[in-house]
Amino acid sequence: MKFLITLSLGFVFGAVLISSEVFHWYRIQEMFHFDSFHMFGVLGSAIASATIFLWLIKRFKVKSISGNSIKPQAKKRRPFGNIMGGLLFGIGWGFTGACTAPIIILLGLKWKIGLLLLAGALCGTLIFAIIKPKLPE
Amino acid sequence: MSLLPWYIAGPLIGLIVPLLLILREKQLGVSSSFRYVGSFVLPKLSYFNYNRVKDAWQVQFALGILLSALVFYSLNLVSEPEIDTSLEYGAWALNIYALDNWWVFLFGGLVIGFGSRYADGCRAGHCIMGNSLLAGSSLVTTLGFFGGGLFVSHVVFPLIFVS
Repeated sequence: MKFLITLSLGFVFGAVLISSEVFHWYRIQEMFHFDSFHMFGVLGSAIASATIFLWLIKRFKVKSISGNSIKPQAKKRRPFGNIMGGLLFGIGWGFTGACTAPIIILLGLKWKIGLLLLAGALCGTLIFAIIKPKLPE
Repeated sequence: MSLLPWYIAGPLIGLIVPLLLILREKQLGVSSSFRYVGSFVLPKLSYFNYNRVKDAWQVQFALGILLSALVFYSLNLVSEPEIDTSLEYGAWALNIYALDNWWVFLFGGLVIGFGSRYADGCRAGHCIMGNSLLAGSSLVTTLGFFGGGLFVSHVVFPLIFVS
């Protein structure tokens, strides 16, 4: 059951990213050239609505279906990692027009390019794990 | 299918956040699924020697995303942007997914994988989840994402895609 819920939410997430063309290289370039409001609208309204939902959960002390209280945690600060990792990720985003979820979408839509992307991302993850002890946080 | 407008797409994405919290007690994120997979490849590294069960749900979530792509593809529902070819990047966009550009995607994938682990999150975990928690770490990371992307679009691409 839990598996089906997670799978369905992933399905909806993917369906929205495909229908709104957020996964596409052209849409991302359009955003970086400030030629269209579309991407800013999607991201901005996603963040705004999520902020409101989180506030409502907090305000009305909404519990999860298992009856536990919901206390989402902010990610730990890693001044160097956030900036350097963010910049590197942004470079990849600029190159491929994809971030993590769109990699998986491209795997389904254009599998050859998607496989290359996924292989690259997995290699990047392994390289990070290997040199992590030497990286400043 | 035609383009889903931003004012519908955005709130739907935002809605995933409370649904995941209420139904699964999880915070939206996708890129930790790579850490999960990596932990099977090089299990002896300290970064991969962790309680990976906590990230297993992200693989299920990713499978859902993949399933949506396969369904949209097979039912021919994929919405492709209307490309303005008078723009420089519009002309590039026409064939961007051709295999000739394999190195763009291999290199891009590499820095995405590395960067999202170093920054401890991607667009989903930082940009949407983290920013809606008003987290400083996520704001800084989001600025990094944009900085890197602007650099590639405005400085790198004009150098490498010389026509």
